[in-house]
Amino acid sequence: MNTQRILALLKMELLKLVREPAYLFLMLLFPAVLTITFGFAFNDPELGSTFNIMVPGLFAYACIFIIMTVSQSFTELREQGVLRRLNTTPMSSSDFMMSNLLSNMILSMLQVLIVFALALLVGFKSNSEILGILFAFLLMALFSLSSVGLGLITASISKNAGIATGISFIFILPQMFFGTFLPMTSNTRVIAVFMPSYYATDALTSIFGGANLLSVNILIDFAFIAIFSIVIVILGIIIFKKYGNK
Amino acid sequence: MIKENGSDKKMSTKIKPYEKPENIINPNSEFSIEVQNLRKIFRGKKGYDDIVAVDDVSFTVKTGELFGFLGPNGAGKTTTINMLVGLEKPTSGTAIINGYDVYYALSHIKESIGVCPQEPSVFKFLTGLENIELFGKLHSMKKAEIKEKTNKLLEILNLSNASKRKTKGYSGGMLRQLNMIISLIHDPKIAFLDEPTVGMDPRARRATWEFIGSLKTKNKTIFLTTHYIEEAEALCDRVAIIDYGKLIEIGTPPDLIKKYEVKTLEGVFLKITGRRIMEGI
Repeated sequence: MNTQRILALLKMELLKLVREPAYLFLMLLFPAVLTITFGFAFNDPELGSTFNIMVPGLFAYACIFIIMTVSQSFTELREQGVLRRLNTTPMSSSDFMMSNLLSNMILSMLQVLIVFALALLVGFKSNSEILGILFAFLLMALFSLSSVGLGLITASISKNAGIATGISFIFILPQMFFGTFLPMTSNTRVIAVFMPSYYATDALTSIFGGANLLSVNILIDFAFIAIFSIVIVILGIIIFKKYGNK
Repeated sequence: MIKENGSDKKMSTKIKPYEKPENIINPNSEFSIEVQNLRKIFRGKKGYDDIVAVDDVSFTVKTGELFGFLGPNGAGKTTTINMLVGLEKPTSGTAIINGYDVYYALSHIKESIGVCPQEPSVFKFLTGLENIELFGKLHSMKKAEIKEKTNKLLEILNLSNASKRKTKGYSGGMLRQLNMIISLIHDPKIAFLDEPTVGMDPRARRATWEFIGSLKTKNKTIFLTTHYIEEAEALCDRVAIIDYGKLIEIGTPPDLIKKYEVKTLEGVFLKITGRRIMEGI
């Protein structure tokens, strides 16, 4: 891997976020609007601590949408012939993938920062120390890798960006419902245990609830997020290299 | 069964595997490009015939030569370029670029080539300058070096005024000029230019052709495909004509004009490719 190339690609990825209104909205404004809306609607004394319970899900929810942006981005680059052109330069596929992973990890941390700050503003109460909050950032950065992997798989099987948007919901919806927003019952848990977002939401709930960072529950969640993310991102890279980069 | 590019001719399915040359690295070769029996067969999807896009093509291009690769639409020009720059794997035969084998030493080749694809391929959300800078950095260039070369190229190709605008708003001609600047920013030893002037207005096309011609004086090897035969005649040291995937003719423009007893290279082109159409090959 070459640092100069990775940094140049990373700069390009971050510029895309700022310059493409659709990406800017989906990645940064949408989580912000969602947090404020949910805070306004659920932070009501009549509902008790409902909003506090929902906030960890909001973190994961924001990160899940990386699946859509990654799949759209890769299919667009492929359609425009830019991926082929990049393949004629000395850039290696590892340089390209690393820049994408880094940019999405940075993005996920930005999302966490926005959601966390706005949630606090609209009444979220965290019992976590600063170390716990930093650990939450790390967890979400790790969780974002699984979204990048699923985005790559989506791009590999999608002919164009429009199809990628549709297909990405195959991965987004189950994670959104079973991993974050639906209450955990014996029925929903059967499916949720296969969703990385379930472990992310569970870990964040424990962290913001003030649990010890070395508690078994958090460590198990962390291990599952790490395993899911690493396996999915490796699978995504392999599938994209074989089928998606044509 | 194999269907020859554009014809109904059936051929054997037996394919000679890609041969590993004796020396996959030979940077002292006098040739920039050495192609031997190169073949590309695209496997047909279920129920469809295979297509021979490039069929047993052999040629060499000397260092510093401006080599024109001509042929009608769908003749196999782009597929040949794609194999030479590593975007497609040859089905059989060998191709050596700058002394390095395309199959076994592609990473060495990528350092020394510039590729200008037929369709402008740039990042639409970046400005022209940002695109050039990005590709310069991918070729390990320093920022100051990129800036200096970019300014020169933008000026030569009359793109300075638009360079700070996002390429989303560029016209087709401007995109093509930027496309070419990106392919040459790192000062490659060999430039593969695939129909670089299509869609340009006459002024931009003239500037681009003058610029391509000027590269000859810098000992650059240019592999050029174009449909503007009269300009190929004026600029190219040698031309090859390909049709239905087969290399039909190769030589200097004056020699070919003399051989076919016509007045221009376009006459040669029409005589060769037209005859093949008439003969139903």
